[in-house]
Amino acid sequence: MSRKLLLENAHIEGIRYYDVYRKNGGYRSVEKALKMTPDEVVEEVKKSGLRGRGGAGFPTGMKWSFIAKPEGVPRHLVCNADESEPGTFKDRYLMEFLPHLLIEGLIVSSYALGSNTTYIYIRGEYAWIPDILEQAIAEAKANGFLGKNILNTGFDCEIYVQRGAGAYICGEETALIESLEGKRGNPRIKPPFPAVKGAWDRPTVVNNVETLAAVVPIINIGGEEYAKIGVGRSTGTKLISACGNINKPGVYEIDMTISVEEFIFSEEWCGGIKNGKRLKACIPGGSSVPILPANLLLKTAKGESRMMNYESLSDGGFATGTMMGSGGFIVFDEDQCVVKNTYTLARFYRHESCGQCSPCREGTGWMEKLLLRLEKGQGKVSDIDLLWDIQSKIEGNTICPLGDAAAWPVAAAIRHFRDEFEWHVTHAAEAQARNFGLAHYADPLPVPEAAAV
Amino acid sequence: MADEIKQQPPANFKVTIDNVTLEVPPGTTILQAARLVGGDVTPPAMCFYTPLKGSGGKCRTCLVEVSKGSEKDPRPMPKLVASCRTTVMDGMEVKSITSERVIAARNSVVEFLLINHPLDCPICDQAGECHLQDLSYEHGKAGTRYEFKRRSFKKHNLGKYIQLHMTRCILCYRCVFTADQLTNKRQHGILDRGDHAEIATYIEKSLDNEFIGNVIDVCPVGALTDKTFRFKNRVWFTKPVDAHRDCPTCCGKVTLWARGPEVLRVTARKDQWGEILPTEDGKTGWICNECRFEKKDEKDWIIDGPMKVARHSVIGANHYEVLDTPKETIDEVMGRAPKLLMDIHSVSEVNDPSLDLSKIEGPATGAVFNHKKMIGEKKD
Repeated sequence: MSRKLLLENAHIEGIRYYDVYRKNGGYRSVEKALKMTPDEVVEEVKKSGLRGRGGAGFPTGMKWSFIAKPEGVPRHLVCNADESEPGTFKDRYLMEFLPHLLIEGLIVSSYALGSNTTYIYIRGEYAWIPDILEQAIAEAKANGFLGKNILNTGFDCEIYVQRGAGAYICGEETALIESLEGKRGNPRIKPPFPAVKGAWDRPTVVNNVETLAAVVPIINIGGEEYAKIGVGRSTGTKLISACGNINKPGVYEIDMTISVEEFIFSEEWCGGIKNGKRLKACIPGGSSVPILPANLLLKTAKGESRMMNYESLSDGGFATGTMMGSGGFIVFDEDQCVVKNTYTLARFYRHESCGQCSPCREGTGWMEKLLLRLEKGQGKVSDIDLLWDIQSKIEGNTICPLGDAAAWPVAAAIRHFRDEFEWHVTHAAEAQARNFGLAHYADPLPVPEAAAV
Repeated sequence: MADEIKQQPPANFKVTIDNVTLEVPPGTTILQAARLVGGDVTPPAMCFYTPLKGSGGKCRTCLVEVSKGSEKDPRPMPKLVASCRTTVMDGMEVKSITSERVIAARNSVVEFLLINHPLDCPICDQAGECHLQDLSYEHGKAGTRYEFKRRSFKKHNLGKYIQLHMTRCILCYRCVFTADQLTNKRQHGILDRGDHAEIATYIEKSLDNEFIGNVIDVCPVGALTDKTFRFKNRVWFTKPVDAHRDCPTCCGKVTLWARGPEVLRVTARKDQWGEILPTEDGKTGWICNECRFEKKDEKDWIIDGPMKVARHSVIGANHYEVLDTPKETIDEVMGRAPKLLMDIHSVSEVNDPSLDLSKIEGPATGAVFNHKKMIGEKKD
C-alpha cells in the first residue's frame, strides 16, 4: 500500500464539510504557510519538485517564480478546473469529495503568489460542483481562512468560482483566461505569457486542481520530505483516473513507484481486465497522449518494465513511448477497435477545435472524415498515408497545443496499429462484422540487437 | 507601413532574413522586416493587417523558422513562429524560403485553407484582387487530396450594403477587429467554433454602422463583398483612379474603380499588401459608408490621378505605374547567381548570340558556324 497524501482522508464521512475536515488536520498548512514569507513557500514548492498535474508536467515552483511582480498591479491565481480531457476525472473527484483540500491549497498558493483575488474556473458540465465549492468557500470564510486579514496576518484573499460554458479549449490556460474575462475562449498567442500578462493584462498563474491540492501536503510535511516520495523527477503522488475495460475503474492515488503491469493487474488497483480478456492497448494519460500496444506498455523498447511515472512512460519518445499527461488511464481489451477509437477521438478534437488557426480548424475535420471512411470500410490504403501527412502538418504549426493533442493520437494509432488500419481496407466487409482482435500486440517484444557503437 | 519604419530614427536591431541583413528599429515584427526586403522572401499574410491592433497569428501562412534567436541567446526557436506576431531581436537570423520546413508548412497551410474553399473564382467579385488566389497561385498545388463535400452554411443577410459568402471565409478575424476598433458596438462576430465557426450577426441583424463598409476592404477573400458592385464588372476591366471629396465623417480619400464614365466601386486606398494606407495626418484612411456606397457619380469626386498599382496582381496587367521590374532577391538569398539547368550556348553553337544571322546571305548552314569557329580559333 503506497502512501496517500491527497486522498488520505477521503473515506471519512462528512469530510466535505468544514468541521470534519478541520478536525482531521485541515487548514494546518494555511496556519503554517502564513507564518512563512511568500518566497519561502515558493521555495518549499520548488524543493518538492512538484510537477504540473494538468498534463504538461511543468515544474510548479519554477512556474511560480516566473510571475512578474510590477508595482501596484494586482496578481491573480487561477485554478484550472476545466477538466475536459476524455478519460480524466480526478479533479472532479477531488472537488466533489474534498473541496476544502482545494480551498486550502488555493489559500496557501495565493499567499505565495500574492494573489488577493483567486478564481476557480470550472467546466460547465460539472454543474453540481460549483455549489459544493461555494459552500466550502463560505465555510472557510466564516472561520476566518478567507476574506480580509486572514489569521491576523494582514493577508486578504477572496476566491470566486467561475463556470465555463462547456468548451474543451478553455482548459488551455490562455483560452481559460479569455473565457474568464468574458470573451470568446480563443487561445492567445504567446508570448506574452500569462505570468507577465494574463487575466486583465495582470500577471497570472494558472494551475491544475490537483497541483494546487498537492501544495497542502508539501507545506505540511515539507518540500524535501515530499520529494522523497516517488522516483527521480517524478516526485510525490499522482491521481490516476483509471477507466476502460478494467475490473475496478476509479480514481487511485499512486506514488509513482509501481509498474504499469502492477497497476493494471493487481487487486489493489485496477484489478485486471474485465471478463478475463486480454490487454490490447492503453492510453495512459488522457485522450491526447499516444496510444501504446500492450507489449510496449508493459515493457519499454529497452526491455525494462515500464513504471507509472513521468520519465518511464515517456521513455523512448513518441516512437515507442507515450506520456503521463493528466492521468486519464484508458485501458482497451482485445475486443476494442483501434480505428473506431481513433475516429472517436478525432471527432472529439474536430468538435472542440476553436477554429482560430487554419491547420487545426481544417485538419481535424479532414482527419475525422478520413477515419470515418476507414472505419466504415470504405477507405483506401492511401488514406492511411494521407492521415499521417495531415497529422504531421498540424503538429507544431498551431497557436495552442490542441493541434498537437489532435495529431498525436492519430499518429500513434497509425504508428503502432497500421496493420489494423490496413485490414479495415483490405477486409472491408469483415471489418464491419468483427474486430481485428489482438493480433500480435500482446506478444513479447523482440529483443533488440545490441547496436554497434 | 514601410514608410513609417524608414522615418524613425536610425535602426539598431540587426536582423538577417534569408541571408539578407538589414537594420530595423526594436519592436518591428519579422514580417514587417521581411516586407522591407521584399520579393519572395516576404512571407504571405492572410490574417495580419497592420492598421488593426491585435490581428495576426491565426492563418499560419507567415510561419518562419528562427535559426538564431538573438545575439544574446543564439538558441534557435524549436517551432516555426508566426512572423507577423514575433518581434525581431538583435542578431536574429530568420529563414523563410531557405528553410524546407517553412516551405512545407506554408504549402500545407495553403492546402488546409483550400480544402473547404468553394473555388468559385469565376463568379466571385474578389477574383483578381483576392489574396487567397495569389497565395494558392504561388504556393498551392494543381490538384486536391480532399475527397469530401466542402462545407456549406446557412445564408445570412447583412443588410443592403454587404454581401456575406461564408463558404469563402478563411476566418481571419480581420472584420471582427475592424468592427471592434472602428465602431462603438460590434454587431457581428464569430459564432460557433472549429470548422463550423461562422461570421454572423446571431439575430439576423443588418450591419448599419457608418464605418462598417471597411470590413469589405479588409477581407482578404470574397467572403465580404460590396453589394452595390456585385456582378457589375471584373476588377481587372475597371480603371482605378485616386479621388477625394470633402466628407464630414471620414477622410474622403478613396480609389474609384470606373469603367468609362461610370464609377462602379469606391474603396479605400490600399498599398501593395492590400492594407489601407494612412492619410497625411498619419491615421489609417478608413472611409465611411456614404463615400463607399452612395457616391457613385463622377461629379461627387475630385480626381487626383491614376492609382499606383503594384504589379503583383492581375489588376496591374494593363496599367502599372512604370515599367520597372521588381527587385530580384534570389542572388542575395542564395549567396550566388542561380545555376542554370543547362547553358545552351556552351552546348550548341547554333544559338551563338554573337552571330547575326540576318547579315549572312541565304539560309545559315554548318559552314557559317564552322567559319565562325575558324575565326574564333584564329583569334586565339
